[in-house]
Amino acid sequence: MLEHLELFFKSIFIDNMVFAVFLGMCSYLAVSKKVATAVGLGAAVIFVLAVTVPLNWLLDQYLLRDGALVWLGPEYADYNLSFLSFIMFIATIATMVQLVEIIVEKFSPSLYNSLGIFLPLIAVNCAILGGSLFMQAREIPSLGLALNYGISSGIGWFLAIVAIAAIREKIRYSNVPPPLRGLGITFIITGLMGIGFQSFGGMLTGDNDPPEGTEPTTVEKIEEKKMIEEELQADDKAVSYNPLIKE
Amino acid sequence: MKEKLHELKLKYQGKKMAPAFNAIHTFLYSPNETTHSGGHVRAVDDLKRTMNTVIIALLPCLLFGIFNAGYQHYSAVNGFPADFSILEHFITWDNFWLGAITVLPLVVVSYGVGLAIEFVFAVIKGHEVEEGYLVTGMLVPLIIPVDTPLWMLAVAVAFGVVIGKEVFGGTGMNILNPALTIRAFLFFAYPTWMSGDKVWVHEGVARAGTADAISGETILGYLAQGKSEAMYAKYDLAEMFYGFIPGSVGETSTFLILLGGLFLIFTKIASWRIMLSAVIGSLAMGLIFNWVVDAGIIPEYSKFYGLMQFDFWKHLIVGGLAFGIVYMATDPVTGSQTNKGKWIYGFFIGFISVMIRVFNPGYPEGVFLAILLMNVFAPTIDHYVVQGNVRRRMKRLKNATILPKPSDGKAEALKVETV
Repeated sequence: MLEHLELFFKSIFIDNMVFAVFLGMCSYLAVSKKVATAVGLGAAVIFVLAVTVPLNWLLDQYLLRDGALVWLGPEYADYNLSFLSFIMFIATIATMVQLVEIIVEKFSPSLYNSLGIFLPLIAVNCAILGGSLFMQAREIPSLGLALNYGISSGIGWFLAIVAIAAIREKIRYSNVPPPLRGLGITFIITGLMGIGFQSFGGMLTGDNDPPEGTEPTTVEKIEEKKMIEEELQADDKAVSYNPLIKE
Repeated sequence: MKEKLHELKLKYQGKKMAPAFNAIHTFLYSPNETTHSGGHVRAVDDLKRTMNTVIIALLPCLLFGIFNAGYQHYSAVNGFPADFSILEHFITWDNFWLGAITVLPLVVVSYGVGLAIEFVFAVIKGHEVEEGYLVTGMLVPLIIPVDTPLWMLAVAVAFGVVIGKEVFGGTGMNILNPALTIRAFLFFAYPTWMSGDKVWVHEGVARAGTADAISGETILGYLAQGKSEAMYAKYDLAEMFYGFIPGSVGETSTFLILLGGLFLIFTKIASWRIMLSAVIGSLAMGLIFNWVVDAGIIPEYSKFYGLMQFDFWKHLIVGGLAFGIVYMATDPVTGSQTNKGKWIYGFFIGFISVMIRVFNPGYPEGVFLAILLMNVFAPTIDHYVVQGNVRRRMKRLKNATILPKPSDGKAEALKVETV
């Protein structure tokens, strides 16, 4: 129970898809002009993540990783299909996105029209693939935790896009200098929002019972790391050159 | 003098330097302009008056900070006085002089750099200089450690004013509080100058490693290291409340901040809803942590134990929480605008501040980050409060019926039907 709670909190706030690892930026920047649309896309991302991460966990566990095929028989124990994980994960994601597209078109044509091309593009939204790959890299131990991870990182992305959509609705009447209007100011806002989200950076790190005397060094290390990360984020130019953003 | 300035103003009209000139002019005298058409209500409480009221509320904190800077330095060097009396040990010329030469340069640099940038932007963009920086420039020196190098402050102020405010179009348009943006920039760019036990006392960093080394750990610093007995041996509750403790320049005296807060509420400059709900939020989180300790969920060796067992109401009188709640969270531009939104916004500021204090080993104090985070979410909160209001009114409109007049006798019939 406690580990579920910790993972939930961690993937919403601390490892936020947008502000900690800067994934899924293209739809985040493009579909954040209105709150209603942003909510629709955010919900779609939550749904897709919640379905694909557990599915990919099963794939990874019983098909792809080293020795995963042992359930077929002992002679398969040496097989390692993890080089297939990208293509398998993307296949799962693309299927799921098709499903979402059909559902949204059927039940909410207005949302379907306002999302436009970005709904099918969820398939290549790197937050979605990132969710599956992080799940694999962090070796999430159980199906329940994988589901939790999918939902909560989706919620983190949802919060980010809704917050920036509300801010963009608010600054619509601001006298922003002409060269910065549109994407420029959005990049700057994203950087500033990243500073706000730094309040959670470094939270819940380390084990809970450190031996006496080692604590200060860990604190210093965390601060150093924070400093480097934050210089990247605080400097908005650096954000726009960040290679992670390119999808 | 006044007439001459008016003449000069006409001469400069339409020139490039006009905004800069007008700014100085209106700062000194009320302008001689009249409206061109129609009837207008004239009120004295314009933006400049609002800003000045906040500055008046901040002045006691600044003065106290000046004396406290001197007091902390001399106490760290000579040892703390055994029987402390305010007149004898605190309000002295030595303290004032030392405080003045350390704190006033911070104020001068903050105003100088910030206003210079505002003037340049106003001249380039061709609008009047806005008063927005007056309060920010006073807040910034009060929320940084006393020995912050002046060039760092200048860099941070430039960042905060340009990226935090001017790119959004100036005063009233920004999404994050500029003073807190400056503080956050300093904190993340130069962390060694912003935390630790050396930075809170004048000359603490300069003397580190020598035989004359001095230090002053903040209350939260002590607690984060689990040394609550050592902390209680050094400071008692009254000292925490009146503010004779190390900390950022103006944040230590909860008593004066309380007075300033009451003054702001009385003059209706700041929102009492935000202040009250932030206090409730921090108390709630403190109570949860106290309960966790009482229930024995967390073991005593845990690194969170020291801060968790700290009584819930004492969170309000140490660190920057009180200062943040009164002067920062109530910023009318970056906070929530709706009344219901203000309650939610304030509550989360208090709640998250105490949470960061306890849970985040990287940050001994999290108030400024909590407020920045809620600044980010304030437009979202407002959006949903407004949507909720719209929906409720639409519903009311749909259900509304035109009641018949009581004289018709139909009203009684209707009443019988509905009951």
